Amino acid sequence: MAEKQGLLSNGWSRMAHNKRYIFWFYVLNVTLAWLGAGAFNDAVHSIFDHSMRADYLLHGFRMAALIEMFARSEFGNIMASVAPAVHFAFLFLLLTALFVPGVLQGYAATYRLSREEFFRACGRNLWRFIRLLIVAGIIMGAVAGALFGLRGVLAKKAAESTNELLLPEARFAGLLVIFLVMTMLRIWFDLAQGDVVLSDQRAVRKSIAAGFRHTWRNLGRLLGSYVITTIVAVIILVAGISLWIKLVPPASVLGAVLVSQLTLLFLLIPRFWQRGIAVSYYLGNMVEAIAVEPITPVPITPAAVSEAIPTPEIPIPPPEPLES
Amino acid sequence: MKMRWIIVFLPVVTVVAISLAVKEYAARASAPQTAPDVSAPLAAGVTPLSNGAAIPDTTLAINSSTPMSQRIVHYEIDAHYDATKHTVDASETLTYHNLTGQALDHFPFHLYQNAFQPKATWVREAKVMGSRDTAYEKWEDKEYGSEDIKTFEVVGQGDLTSRLQYIQPDDGNRDDKTVVDVKLLKAIAPGEYVQFKIAFRTVFPETEARSGWKRDFVLGGQWFPKVGVFWHGAWNCHQYHAMTEFFADFGVYDVKLTVPQFEVMGASGIKVSEVSNSDSTKTLTYHGDDIHDFAWTASPRYKVKEDGVYQGQMGPVQMRILMQPAHWSQVERHEKILRESLERFESWYGPYPYKTITLVDPEPDSAAGGMEYPTFITGDSSWFMPEGVRLPELVVEHEFGHQYWYGMVATNEFEDAWLDEGINSYSEVKVLDSILGRNTSMLNIAGINLGEREGQRLSYISAADLDPIAEKAYDYYSGNSYGGITYGKTASVLLTLEGIIGEDTMAKAMHVYFMKYRFTHPDKEDFLKTIEEVSGKNLRWYFNQAIYGTQVMDYKVLRIESFPVNWYEEKKGSAHKNDKNTIYRSYVWLQRKEDFVMPAEVEIKFDNGEAVREHWDGVSRWTKFTYEKRGKVVSAELDPDHKIQIDRNDFNNSYTDEPNPKPARKIENYWMFLSQMVAQALAWWAV
Repeated sequence: MAEKQGLLSNGWSRMAHNKRYIFWFYVLNVTLAWLGAGAFNDAVHSIFDHSMRADYLLHGFRMAALIEMFARSEFGNIMASVAPAVHFAFLFLLLTALFVPGVLQGYAATYRLSREEFFRACGRNLWRFIRLLIVAGIIMGAVAGALFGLRGVLAKKAAESTNELLLPEARFAGLLVIFLVMTMLRIWFDLAQGDVVLSDQRAVRKSIAAGFRHTWRNLGRLLGSYVITTIVAVIILVAGISLWIKLVPPASVLGAVLVSQLTLLFLLIPRFWQRGIAVSYYLGNMVEAIAVEPITPVPITPAAVSEAIPTPEIPIPPPEPLES
Repeated sequence: MKMRWIIVFLPVVTVVAISLAVKEYAARASAPQTAPDVSAPLAAGVTPLSNGAAIPDTTLAINSSTPMSQRIVHYEIDAHYDATKHTVDASETLTYHNLTGQALDHFPFHLYQNAFQPKATWVREAKVMGSRDTAYEKWEDKEYGSEDIKTFEVVGQGDLTSRLQYIQPDDGNRDDKTVVDVKLLKAIAPGEYVQFKIAFRTVFPETEARSGWKRDFVLGGQWFPKVGVFWHGAWNCHQYHAMTEFFADFGVYDVKLTVPQFEVMGASGIKVSEVSNSDSTKTLTYHGDDIHDFAWTASPRYKVKEDGVYQGQMGPVQMRILMQPAHWSQVERHEKILRESLERFESWYGPYPYKTITLVDPEPDSAAGGMEYPTFITGDSSWFMPEGVRLPELVVEHEFGHQYWYGMVATNEFEDAWLDEGINSYSEVKVLDSILGRNTSMLNIAGINLGEREGQRLSYISAADLDPIAEKAYDYYSGNSYGGITYGKTASVLLTLEGIIGEDTMAKAMHVYFMKYRFTHPDKEDFLKTIEEVSGKNLRWYFNQAIYGTQVMDYKVLRIESFPVNWYEEKKGSAHKNDKNTIYRSYVWLQRKEDFVMPAEVEIKFDNGEAVREHWDGVSRWTKFTYEKRGKVVSAELDPDHKIQIDRNDFNNSYTDEPNPKPARKIENYWMFLSQMVAQALAWWAV
């Protein structure tokens, strides 16, 4: 337990000492989402801005007005709004993959990483991370697909029961299992990422193997830490939405923006905390010890020096006298 | 145990636990299928006739000392339900009183359960038009249903089984067996009785169209051969279609149901007796008066609340509620909405005459929720149902409303579906508005709300221009059109009518219509003429467009404009912005974008605080109002009192000079929040 707390607090400490990364990722997140929302915003403004009926959504939240907005021809096809948002979400994923090596390097450093060092780490590990992303995608996709398939079969079986509650219970239990297994995979690849960056490992497969080995050996410790941080994320989300509902008056757009964006900013913390945990674990358990023989001091004597300086095989001729 | 083994074992344990928990109902010893007893004694109070028929005359199940309907039919059914095969073997004695004024030489019968066969019209239509239950992408045996007549005897004329002939009056589909016709050897004279003795077997499908079985539950609806209705001078006996419901004559029902001992039962009418049999079965006898259908349900797991009594205008009404065990915490919620619905209907439309109302919370995930039968309705709920989600209230109220609009005012659901579903949806809006609030009667959770009238309008505008209201239910373009027009448009049209004739006049018209036509089969003109008579207005201009036509309404504030009258004297840089004495010429343009024409009001506001209301007849495609005032026009709003429910676009009904970006920004923020969340979640798991 003490070990787990150590991992959690150590990870937190690394994250807390590098808060600027969270801020910049948040800026990236909000910027890309804003770009992705352009089409949606234009469509909504064209319907709402001069209509008194739009007040139904300002002073309260009349669902009918929102549904009618989506049904309006001026709004256009919903996919025209969804597609850019999804594309920019995917871009955020790629940029995260690009910048995480710098974050890991920063977390491992005992000093404030310079901008050059940060971006150097990003550039040096770009292709390694893309390879990691592909391997992780294949494995996580296959496992998630299999687990969701199994969950579907179980749910179908449970649906045959005369106990109505069995179905939601089976679904919930299935989700819980999927969450734990996927978290385990996330830990595996987080450790692999740490190994790639901090060992400057070009052979990604070796880092993947090391990540798997350590995840399996220390699963309880690592999984406990990751689950706790995920619970923190859920608490942040629930608290943020509750505050939004309870404290922000319906017509206060600014209040809603503040609370929602603060929630999203805080929501980044648990994931960076997890990265801090992964780096802490790496430094504590995965860095290979280098065997160095003890150095015995030797007294320096002229003889020793002359021994150390080899006599040239070709004798050096004495200098000729200078002509006057 | 090491965590890694826990992780490995978790899926295994989950699989095993769920498999163990799936307790299949133990194989039930089905009741032996004895031969149908077609000579069962008739109910007490029955006068035998010389030709072997009988005139039933009881008032056992209603709070009235005299019959309230003509009681054209009397069904006596002795049925045995096999809970393992989901079949019913029964004998039926139907006594028919010929009050048509003419001799009848043939009788058509509905065999509704034959609809659930791959070549039947019902399945064909469901496959094309959509169904709220099964998509029929591939045929499965459990979807099969049937209703086979084994023997058919007419008292005094002998066995006429060989004279039965399937007919297809609507579409000529020779494979459709939902209507069978029998040609008699001798016509039945006006005023005479005829008695049919029918032995039949019904096989229920897995719940379809609110009938059939699901797991160990069964809803016995439309399960016995039912004679058509002689209406408007001819037999009216349509095939069963994917979008249609039913039509039947009023009468008396005496039904014996033999089921396994463990079943908990509910049925139309009142329970007369319950007898345990020696073969692990029991026989329950039900009786119903002045009803036109009989449905029943059985499940071993119902939890029953039957101590609720509503003191109605004609006497006490027992509220019997059959709940799913996992929904038991919602029983008070169900009883409350049932009681409040009874109160509203009695005070607004007329008395509920029956002695019982049975509310069934059907098997989860079955296609049995939300159905009406006389004195017997099914609700719809789930184990998780927050108070702010009003689904149970909505469904219970709606189905109870059918006790009036279908149950007592028994319109033809094949041809005039809007007269029951539409009028009932209108009543639903009124009742739920008064109980749960105008804007919160469907949803009221976390600051998000939705009112029933808004819901009906949304349903309408999703299918506004395809079909008229006055359309046969089986002639609609699609299921969505049927739902949007029959329910949503009718409700919206009647709510708009309130704005034309006044809410009080409309309420009076509804009351008059109910009292005048209860226990009869009115048609659309009976309803429309009642409204015209009560309101004293000729409303054909409205009915022709709204009921008989497909016209769509979309009024728009096209443009508003103001400028100083002496604009030509205005010098550069000396605008009249703050000059209160400046006189402005203002224009307001209104447009009728679609083809529905009706008068409307418009409210125009000026920046000096003045407001004027104008009347527009809507006849021309557009109109213009002009003003000269010491103030600029700041806004124009069509239908400022929100009386019109049928305008398909509410957003363009108003226009403000200055844009107000706040509502859009609020929605933008929701969209941004969602987008950012999705992006973060994606990155969380993938990188």
